[in-house]
Amino acid sequence: MTTAPSPVRQPAWQLSRSAIGLWVTEGVIASLFLGIGATLFIMFVPDDLGGPFPVLRWLVPTASVLYAVMAIGVRPWFRFRVHHWEVTADAVYTLTGWLTRTWTLVPISRIQTVDVTRGVLQQLFGLSTVAVLTASSQGTVRVWHLEADVAQRVADDLAHRAEQVRDQAT
Amino acid sequence: MNPETVGRRTSPFIVLVHTITFRQARAFVPAVIPLVAATGFGGGRTTVIALVVGVTLLSLGTAALSWWRFSYADGLSSVVVTRGLLSRSVRTVPNDRIRGVEVETPILHRLFGLVRVRVDAAAGAVSGKDEELVVDGVSRAEGDRLRTAVLTHRQAPARQDDGAEREPAEEEFGRFDNRWLLYAPLVGSYLALPLAAVGALFRLAQELPESLRPDVDEEALASVRAFVIVVVGALLVLLVGSVVGAAVVNWGFRLVRRGGSLIAVRGLITRRHTELEIDRIRGATVAEGAGMRLVRAARVNALVTGLGDAARRGQLLPLGPRSEAWSLVRRLVEDPGPLVAHPPAARRRRIVRAVSAGLLVAAGGLVAIVTAGWWWVLVVGLVLAVLGVPLGLGRYAALGHATGPSSFSVRSGWLVREQALLQRRAVVGWEVRQSFFQRRAGLATVLACVGAGRGGYAAIDMAADDVASFTAAASGQWASALLASGERNPRGPGMSSPRAGEG
Repeated sequence: MTTAPSPVRQPAWQLSRSAIGLWVTEGVIASLFLGIGATLFIMFVPDDLGGPFPVLRWLVPTASVLYAVMAIGVRPWFRFRVHHWEVTADAVYTLTGWLTRTWTLVPISRIQTVDVTRGVLQQLFGLSTVAVLTASSQGTVRVWHLEADVAQRVADDLAHRAEQVRDQAT
Repeated sequence: MNPETVGRRTSPFIVLVHTITFRQARAFVPAVIPLVAATGFGGGRTTVIALVVGVTLLSLGTAALSWWRFSYADGLSSVVVTRGLLSRSVRTVPNDRIRGVEVETPILHRLFGLVRVRVDAAAGAVSGKDEELVVDGVSRAEGDRLRTAVLTHRQAPARQDDGAEREPAEEEFGRFDNRWLLYAPLVGSYLALPLAAVGALFRLAQELPESLRPDVDEEALASVRAFVIVVVGALLVLLVGSVVGAAVVNWGFRLVRRGGSLIAVRGLITRRHTELEIDRIRGATVAEGAGMRLVRAARVNALVTGLGDAARRGQLLPLGPRSEAWSLVRRLVEDPGPLVAHPPAARRRRIVRAVSAGLLVAAGGLVAIVTAGWWWVLVVGLVLAVLGVPLGLGRYAALGHATGPSSFSVRSGWLVREQALLQRRAVVGWEVRQSFFQRRAGLATVLACVGAGRGGYAAIDMAADDVASFTAAASGQWASALLASGERNPRGPGMSSPRAGEG
């Protein structure tokens, strides 16, 4: 599907490959919870209940297994192929999503704050997220899952450059 | 209280005003209700009187206490407000953070010659009531002094640029014509005013003791004539109420430019005086509801960076003819010219989306016929689906975008069609979104992120091929990063990948 024409240019750089591991782990955790829920459903909803329940007894586990296959086996790799990011001479540019794709571009002159965050799972994989905030509540760029040292360098660089070219006209 | 600046106090008359309005005591009401319920509302006259006296005394006490604990000071570099009944709070707002000052005169304040001053201070992306300093209850002269003082201090560093116009002449941008009040019944928010009032009345009627309720003959209620009278009466109340409501809010609306500010004054009972800095205006929206479009009416809001409560304060034309709205907008933002319609694929997408809800209901209706024998669900679904076609067409007709030399414009919406006209410098970022279906249809939605108004204004379903040129034309040089021809970036972390999928 990456061959379909894209409305705008693709950012140049890929994420760290560790991101795949992180997404797989996230998928495993979500699937586990879903699996527990489905098991409980089968255990505690009796078979002889009327209405839609006989159908649901099949549907719920099937959907859970399908979700697990997608979330663990397909989505991480798909996402990795889609996700890109780039810091150009005067803007931060990202592409995220897998079915719905979102390209976000924020000029460095309009950056207000740069945050680096590390979630619990991210720490296991040595990854960080760089969040670039602007005056607009909707104009926030998040570069997910960069290697921690790359993320720190990018954040420092952005904060430094933003200070130099800051545009008073928010 | 503050060592550096002399704290000023508000007028003691404000204690009276707040006692009458139970301003501070209102906070205790939720605590009092269960108390009263627990002791049992005896119903005796003495209980009622005791309660009234108690509440009044409580109100007087809290009002006096908060007056006593309140002081404010406007220094050369900041405004400091000290307050707090039990815990002290000192809020300091640097002058360069102040975005505007509003002076309002509620009717009780007017009796005592007092005004309420709101100082609007914004801090970036976060918004909320907290970014506001309220100095309630100073004399009119002191209110004007405070407003001028705060605004002059704030502008002091930038005065080299416009030092010439120290006492600038006023220029009138707009004046409310009372005939425009007749548009009010077609505007949703004004219609809501009488509805809220009627709702409150009904609640009151429910609480009235049995003996005070008017005798209503149950049989008379059931007759057709009574029904018609009630409906007509309700409609009349709605019509008159919305006009009256609009009049109360907008009476004597006047928009003038004084120096670098736009000043809007309005209100019948509470006079509001709102000041917007023209330099912070990034654009404007022209909103036309479905009803307003029938009579060619529109409303105009300014998009101002860092303005709290922007929906109310940014209003430049609360209600008026479309021609008036556009001539006003053109004084603020250069008109980028006529809108470019979006491709036919966008029309298909709008219709499919509008029809699908009805089709879903119809599908449910088929199931309902089989299982329960209900045929009406199917009929409702089909009717909804058919109605979806004009709705989708209407939504498509609203879509459009345009770029001019220094501004651009996007429009969308059917129930409320809103066109945003934005200056190029307004854009603080672009977000291009393409769902799976949009990708197949060759469409994309482009959101211009703006540090004002709603935070973002979208061109929905524009042709994917036009996205890059639109963003480049509607904002600065930096947006050329979206263009396919943008040069490869050398400063990489060493992981550049072959570029796939260029449009």
